[in-house]
This record gives sequence, structure tokens and C-alpha cells, in this order.
Amino acid sequence: MKKAFKRIFRSGWINFKRNSYLSFGTTGIMALVLLLFSGLMVLNYVSGQIVTGLEDKVDISVYFKNNASEDQVMAVEQDLEAQSDVASVTYISKDKALADFKTNHAGDALIQQSLAELADNPLQSSLNVKAKDSTQYASIVTFIEGNKLRSVIDKINFYENEAVINRVESISNGVGNYGLGITLVLAFIAVLVTFNTIRLTIYNQKNEIEIMRLVGGSNWHVKAPFLVEGGLYGIFAATIAIVIFYPTLWFVSSKVGVLIPGLSLLGYFGANFFQFVPLIFALGISLGVISSFIAIRRFLKV
Amino acid sequence: MIELKDIFTIYDDDFMALDSINLEIKDGEFVSLVGPSGAGKSTLLRLMTRELKPSQGDVMIDGINIAELTTAQVPLLRRKIGTIFQDFKLLSRKSAFENVAFALEVSGAEPEEINEDVPKVLNIVGLTDKAKNFPHQLSGGEKQRLAIARALIHRPRILLADEPTGNLDMVNSYDVVKLLMKINEFGTTVILATHNREVVNAVGRRVISMEKGKIVRDQVEQGKYII
Repeated sequence: MKKAFKRIFRSGWINFKRNSYLSFGTTGIMALVLLLFSGLMVLNYVSGQIVTGLEDKVDISVYFKNNASEDQVMAVEQDLEAQSDVASVTYISKDKALADFKTNHAGDALIQQSLAELADNPLQSSLNVKAKDSTQYASIVTFIEGNKLRSVIDKINFYENEAVINRVESISNGVGNYGLGITLVLAFIAVLVTFNTIRLTIYNQKNEIEIMRLVGGSNWHVKAPFLVEGGLYGIFAATIAIVIFYPTLWFVSSKVGVLIPGLSLLGYFGANFFQFVPLIFALGISLGVISSFIAIRRFLKV
Repeated sequence: MIELKDIFTIYDDDFMALDSINLEIKDGEFVSLVGPSGAGKSTLLRLMTRELKPSQGDVMIDGINIAELTTAQVPLLRRKIGTIFQDFKLLSRKSAFENVAFALEVSGAEPEEINEDVPKVLNIVGLTDKAKNFPHQLSGGEKQRLAIARALIHRPRILLADEPTGNLDMVNSYDVVKLLMKINEFGTTVILATHNREVVNAVGRRVISMEKGKIVRDQVEQGKYII
């Protein structure tokens, strides 16, 4: 058994070497396919990050009338926190709002001056509400509208933000659906290209396969070295793809970081190196072996 | 013992390649199968290796109907039969040594056995110093001798040779036939399909003449090439 494996791997390797011209082409094509997969993963990650970033920025604020007591605000806050679709509620008191306003406009002498002249704090206390999902804002607003303390609420800024929220939501859905669709289509094309390349490589050796059968080779005896050869294409292609991918990522990462602050491609793919590399290898090897397996079947009928 | 009983072979395009063939070949015989191209010689040989199944009739080898073998059993049959072809059918990506070794490997031989037997057989056909050469580095005669070496490596009971001299000159043809006769002397049944008159007459053993898929003459002894 051990000897049989040794023979299979040895002849697969010899075949790969002697076939160098063809192997080179096939490996190159597979490397491109694997790079395409890596590229798709980068795109998915980037678009996911952008959408999450946008969703994070969306919230609604509930402003209370000046006569609302802190207890009443607290009661509304507790009601909201009890809602399952609410991710977080932040209370901003009148004083906090004023302090924030002052720091935001610290450099503006005119505003500082006007504030100093005011006897009362003109700002309202508010609750800042974030939903778990941007689709849930409408129902949260409906809930607030129906609250028993609606009378102390001045306004809800959802109505001003509604267009933006809907837009983010549609982008997020679009990226989810179309992104998946495009990834699947490209992945399918990649698999077809690999399969056809390997099929041509094996077709080239169809006479050899028939001869092996004629001198008494069993199906597995003939097939196994070809599967090993297919796996070797995968291993080499994955190595090439990774050797190209990471330096490219390093080069691109800083430029993307400028466009989308807080996004580090190198950081993400670096942190997931030990998941990403085995994934690419597994993908390459299984593409090679499975394509060979399917391609060789029809030549074994002699 | 090879028995062919009421064999008909009709190809997909309705061409009748073999027409009611009845034939018996005993162990250790040397049979020359002669006839013009398209007479059905190759078809007859391909029936014996189960490359083809007859449309009708039975092919029996040592009492076994080979049409009933399963796909997994076919390689076992082929290891009992050595085959030589006009176009040699060598594995172009393997060296002379590896070509012969492959036929042994497929039957699960140990590496020690391979390293011992392959040089012996290469020596019999006179290719010891060409063991590392690839088929494209060999002459026509050497290629055919290599093919014979591969056919011999299993010590087959039956050797089928389909126009083995078709691509060779007179001297090389004579070498190949001498080899076949030597193999036959050791007890292997040899079936030689050819349309080379000199070769057949030189052998001078049983000669079966075929024409348009039928056996038209069977000279059991001291046969000559007659059509």
C-alpha cells in the first residue's frame, strides 16, 4: 500500500516535470484563477467594510422638550432599550449637549461669544438610538410615536434622515446580493477555465492512457498519477498566487487606506494569513484533482 | 486454448468486419493470420484483448468467455496476453526501461522484481544500452523490439502481434520474426497478423487466410502465404 502510494506520487511528479511546457501553462492559468478568487475576497471584504461603516454612521435622535424631566427621559430610554431591534441608546443631557457644542466650535469666537451671552442652555436633551439593522429604524420610530410619553418629545430626526437611511439600506442590500451573484458567476467561470485547461492537458495524453489500459493497467493505476499531477498544478498555482497576492496587497493597502480611512487590507489579510493561505491551497488542489478526475474518465473506457 | 465460436462483428457504420468466424488455436501454436487490409485480422486480435466485444458469438480463452469479464477483470486478462502493434504504442513520456517497467508495475510487482526482470527482458531483445532512451530516440526496429520486451515482461501465455513488421525494413522485420519464433519455442502461443509474404513464408507454420471478414483457408502445417 505504502509502495503503491510512493509509485503514484513519484510517477505523478515525473509526469509533471517531463510535461513542463504544458504544466507551466496550466499552472499559470490556475494561478490566475486563484488570484481572481483572492481578488473577489478582497472586494467582498472592502465592500462589507464600507457598508458596515455607513450603517454605523446612521442613527436617529429623539429630542425632548425643555420641560421634560430627567425621569421621563430615562423612562423612554428604558422602554427603547427593552426593544429587541435596538442596538444601543445613548442619553445626551442638556449640559452634555452644550459641552459637546462648545468643544466642537472651540475655535469659533463668534459662537463662543454668543453662548456666553445666553443665560439659559438653549440645547435640548436627547436620546441617540442605533438599530441593529438599518431596516428597523422605521419600526423604532413607530414605537416612539406610540409611547405614553410622546407629549414630552419635541421631534425625531428620522424624518430628515429617512432618505439617507433608505439609501444606505439599498446599497447594503445591493452589495450583498449583486456581490454574491458576481462572485458566483466569476467563480463558475474560473472553475470552467481550470477544468478545460486540465482537460486539454489530459486530452494530449489520451493515446498514452489507452496504451496503459492495453498493457493491463487497471483504471486506478492509470488514473491516480494524473490526479497527483492535477494536485501538483494546484500546489504550484497556489504558491504563485500567494507570492503575487501579498506583495500586491502591501502595495495597494496604503492607497486604499487613504481612500477609506480605518480600512487596512494588509492588517485583515495579515491577521487571517493562516486561514487564507490554507484556503487558497485547498482550493487549488481540489480544483486540480477534481478537474483531472472528471477529465480522465472518458479516456479510460478502452 | 483460444476458441472463437460463430463470431460476427459489425461496426457502428454497419460494416461487417467479421462474418461467422469459427477458430480454435491450441496452446503453443504459432499462427500467421494473413489477408489484405480490411480483411478483419486486427478486429480478430482486438476481440481477444477485449478491446472489442463481438456483436454475436463467444470468445473463449482457457474456457472463459471474456465478454463476461467485469471492467475490473479486464486488466487481469490483458496481463496474460502480450500485445505488439504496427505503431508500437509505446509511452512517449517514459524511457525504454520505464515502458517495460510500467507493464509490471500495473500488476503490483515489487520494485526489486522490476529492477531484476526489466534488464533481463531488455537484454533478450538487445536493448540493454538503450534503457534510458525515450521512444523518440530509438529507431523503428528498436521501438518494435522494445514493444516486444514489454509484451514479454509478464511471461504471457499468448502473444498477439498486429502487423509488427509493417513499419520496418527487411532486416529489422527478420529480427522481429526471429524473436517471435524464439518466444514461441518457450511455449507461448503466438498469433501474428501480417500481409508480409516473406515473413509468413519464412515462418512456415500454420497460416490462416482471411478475406472480407471470413476465413477462406486454414493451412495447419507448413503454411504459405496464399490469398
